[in-house]
Amino acid sequence: MPTVTIDDKPCVAELGETILQVARRNGIWIPTLCYHPAVEPYASCRICVVEIDRGGWWQVVTSCNYPIRGDLTVRVESERAVRARRGVMELLLARCPESAELRELAGRMGVEGTPHPHVTEAQRNCILCGLCVQVCEETIGAAAISPAGRGVERSVAAPFRLASEDCIGCGACAAVCPVGTIVVRMHENEVEISPFKSRVKLRRCADCGTPLASELAIKALSARGGPTVTEMLDGEDCCSRCKRRKLAQELTSGHGRSPADLIA
Amino acid sequence: MADNESVAVDTIIERYAGDPGMLIPIMQDIQAEHGYLPRPEMKELAGGLSVPLARIYSVATFYSSFRLLPKGDHTIQLCMGTVCFLKGAGKIAEALQSEFDLTPGGTSPDRKFTFAPVNCVGACALAPVMVVDEEYHGGLTVNSAVKLLHKIADADEAAKTAKEAQQRKEAKKAAAIAKKKGSGSKKT
Amino acid sequence: MSTVDTRLESADDLQQYRKQLLAERDETTRRVRVCLGTGCTAKGALGVMESFNRAAEELGDDSVLVESKCTGCHGFCERGPIVVVDPGNIFYQNVKQEDVPDIWRESVIGGRVVERLQYKDEKSGKTAATSDEIPFYSAQHRIVLNHNGVIDPTRIEEYLAVGGYAGLAKTLSSMDPEQVIEEITASGLRGRGGGGFLTGRKWRSARNAPGEPRYVIANGDEGDPGAFMDRSLMEGSPHSVIEGMIIGAYAIGSSQGYIYVRNEYPMAVKHLNIALEAARGMGLLGDDILGSGFSFDIRINRGGGAFVCGESTALMASLEGRVGEPRAKYIHTVESGLNGKPSLLNNVETWANVPQIILNGADWFASLGTERSKGTKVFSLVGKVKNTGLVEVPMGMTLRQIIFDIGGGIRGDKAFKAVQTGGPSGGCIPATFLDEPVDFDRLTELGSMMGSGGMIVMDEDTCMVNVAKYFLGFLKEESCGKCTPCREGVAQMLHILDNITKGKGRQGDIERLEALGTLLEDTALCALGKTAAYPVLSTLRYFREEYETHISQQYCPAKECPGLFKYEINGEACTGCRLCAKKCPVDAISGEKKKPHTIDQEKCTNCGTCFDVCAFSAVTKV
Repeated sequence: MPTVTIDDKPCVAELGETILQVARRNGIWIPTLCYHPAVEPYASCRICVVEIDRGGWWQVVTSCNYPIRGDLTVRVESERAVRARRGVMELLLARCPESAELRELAGRMGVEGTPHPHVTEAQRNCILCGLCVQVCEETIGAAAISPAGRGVERSVAAPFRLASEDCIGCGACAAVCPVGTIVVRMHENEVEISPFKSRVKLRRCADCGTPLASELAIKALSARGGPTVTEMLDGEDCCSRCKRRKLAQELTSGHGRSPADLIA
Repeated sequence: MADNESVAVDTIIERYAGDPGMLIPIMQDIQAEHGYLPRPEMKELAGGLSVPLARIYSVATFYSSFRLLPKGDHTIQLCMGTVCFLKGAGKIAEALQSEFDLTPGGTSPDRKFTFAPVNCVGACALAPVMVVDEEYHGGLTVNSAVKLLHKIADADEAAKTAKEAQQRKEAKKAAAIAKKKGSGSKKT
Repeated sequence: MSTVDTRLESADDLQQYRKQLLAERDETTRRVRVCLGTGCTAKGALGVMESFNRAAEELGDDSVLVESKCTGCHGFCERGPIVVVDPGNIFYQNVKQEDVPDIWRESVIGGRVVERLQYKDEKSGKTAATSDEIPFYSAQHRIVLNHNGVIDPTRIEEYLAVGGYAGLAKTLSSMDPEQVIEEITASGLRGRGGGGFLTGRKWRSARNAPGEPRYVIANGDEGDPGAFMDRSLMEGSPHSVIEGMIIGAYAIGSSQGYIYVRNEYPMAVKHLNIALEAARGMGLLGDDILGSGFSFDIRINRGGGAFVCGESTALMASLEGRVGEPRAKYIHTVESGLNGKPSLLNNVETWANVPQIILNGADWFASLGTERSKGTKVFSLVGKVKNTGLVEVPMGMTLRQIIFDIGGGIRGDKAFKAVQTGGPSGGCIPATFLDEPVDFDRLTELGSMMGSGGMIVMDEDTCMVNVAKYFLGFLKEESCGKCTPCREGVAQMLHILDNITKGKGRQGDIERLEALGTLLEDTALCALGKTAAYPVLSTLRYFREEYETHISQQYCPAKECPGLFKYEINGEACTGCRLCAKKCPVDAISGEKKKPHTIDQEKCTNCGTCFDVCAFSAVTKV
């Protein structure tokens, strides 16, 4: 089992793990944006960079995907690493002036403001971390959105910038977006996901009207099977609160069935 | 709608044994057929190769050689450099856009003209300048610019009419020869 | 193009076939070799070729055998179309279709020379009969380009006749994979695409990497603006690349190879396809090559139009049908590359060196070049130099020798200012270093790099800030957009440079550029981003005052940036012809007829029209 020394602290590691995984397990904080445990590291944001000892020289690498293949010495708080992370954050703040989440992370990193002007209007407040795309393709399997274009004018969109035909309205993209750019809105009958122009039919609780989930998401989850899921939503049109209310009524109404029977 | 004469998407897919790794050569072949990548063909490709449409769109917009919109028959580059601008290129742009239903970077609905405003073409002595199909036209006014494009469109029409007339003539000739052969054998 | 029906079943077969070809060759046959590389073709070489073909057909006289054939790029593209007549290797330049009858009558049939079409030395006035007498060529040492201009690239027999595939035959009949890798390692060959990595070491890592299948890839995506070495190689001698790849595949145990060619090189794609088919037909490619039991085949993929696909991991992503996004190289591509399998990727020029190293031995190759940079390198010498084109020279030749002896010096005899090497990843080297040897390490020490071999020569009229801006503009268009530092940082650097060249630079701009340069080098994901700042950093290193003058005085010392210098009329030279006044779009020029005119600086928009139209060079840049 290799030893990874991070800022002079020896940590036990497993072959194939990443520096980030070892650091987190040992309570060492490294900022991240495009990293998410549900998907493969894409390493696009570069905010997690650290220095590693290459024997004679120090290399700056991204901790989220650098594989441990033996003993390794890492510096997180070295001047060069701190300056590198600050530089990346300054570029991101210039790109996304309106993201509260980004400013909060910057604050944690000790970065206040940016010397750079805002130089592009393409998809304001998107840091192109790629998490929404990855989650949609790898985790959900819908592959409804993707990066369009190249370079600084790149943006994430549904094909041909029209409403996606593959989107199931599950909102996973919004859940993983680190800068709060993707927004899910519930309308009367629809789930809307912006900025992707997705509109998917919404199922609401037949009793109280609480939004449950999009029809397509329910269908997709049912197709995946699993007792909990089917139980939860498939064929049901009640939210969990109303279900509990109904069950409680059943139990206390005394329709001749013992609690033991109901539970069995 | 796919042209009746162009090669079908699944035929092209078969050329590459349905290998999704050959997506780019397949898209290049499709573009060679249609002059651009039409949306219906891209959807068909997604299904045929079992590749998400989103990835195809990503690839189509990443590589410079792919076009998602057909180019017009004629490309108009209107110089918007400083001197041309001072000499009224802005007004010319407005006039052309309204007369031919154009937007900057776009193509007219009849697919005749693609309008591309550009930065200084380096012909300031000729300002305002328009480059049409790589030919330079200088000293333009709103009227002369509009007239120039009408002239080009008319020339196309004339060429088309002439071609159709020639084709009709040849068809008539061929029919006459066929008729003659038929009646010739009767005479003897 | 020809189809050869012979299938070679062994190394001996190949040897016999070559002997036969040489025996059949009649040295007294008069031959006309017309270059049909892209450069000469753009200047009308096809018409020249057709005229020679017609003349050869019309020749009723059987006593004179004439063969007209197309050859690949000679490299002296600016003097094209190039025609060479044998016997005698008589070299003709700037040949137009109307010159063909003269050459035919005088040179081909008559055995004389047509002096007006020969190369003439500017200084001595001497004409050169053969290319050996032309300084552009005589100082070169051609290994990779030695067949260009001699053989018809679409006929495999011509490649075989000059020793083609002998290296492969030697490999398959008398060497095992280990020996091949040892030979390449001993030669000291380093990658010719820009990385300069030791080729032998890469081959060994690929061989040792576990996993099947394993791939061999040739990078023909030459994207550096101003570089066309790979184009000429693929067009003019496609078999040398193929032969190299087969040898490499044998060394690492691969049965499938790819050649990735830039979409903008249709002739290269065409010639490579012809070559592959011919090689397959003769048993030199495909199943059981030369009866050895070793099988390997190659497929050609065209790029989609993205400079970033010259980067190895982006190239592999493209081969997988994805966007050309690079990925981390913490695990090398020799271990996990195309489809996650071991992949050996080398530049086409690197592959082209392999057959000759095997045939002539590692020692022969290592005897050329410097201690750490062996062999030769093909450079594309372009820009403000008199003789532009491709030059192949041993590593270690000095910049001065290349630019002045071979290149003939600066056009218009102006002052040399800098030479840009390494494309958008490289830097500018000023006059103080003209006597430095050109090799991988020295160029890197000077703040530039070898890159793929582009050498852009600049003179006193070049604004170095504008040069940096040009490269950054290029990179901004070509950045894939995946990682923050490159995507945002390049745009920010371009924004600063744009301001500086427009007179809107501010104090602190240079420091911000330097900080961004360091940030990109440290944090960018791939070499495009990591080296994106080099053009800026190297011009700052050697031409800092130019930047400072732009910022503090809003003045461009090279007088190139519009608005940052003035146009004035030299009263002594001005004849008062009034042409400039008539052409001036803002009526800023005034004066009486036949008397010197003046420019009203308040009205002047710096468009430069007066400068362009003045027939007396009376308008000067100040």
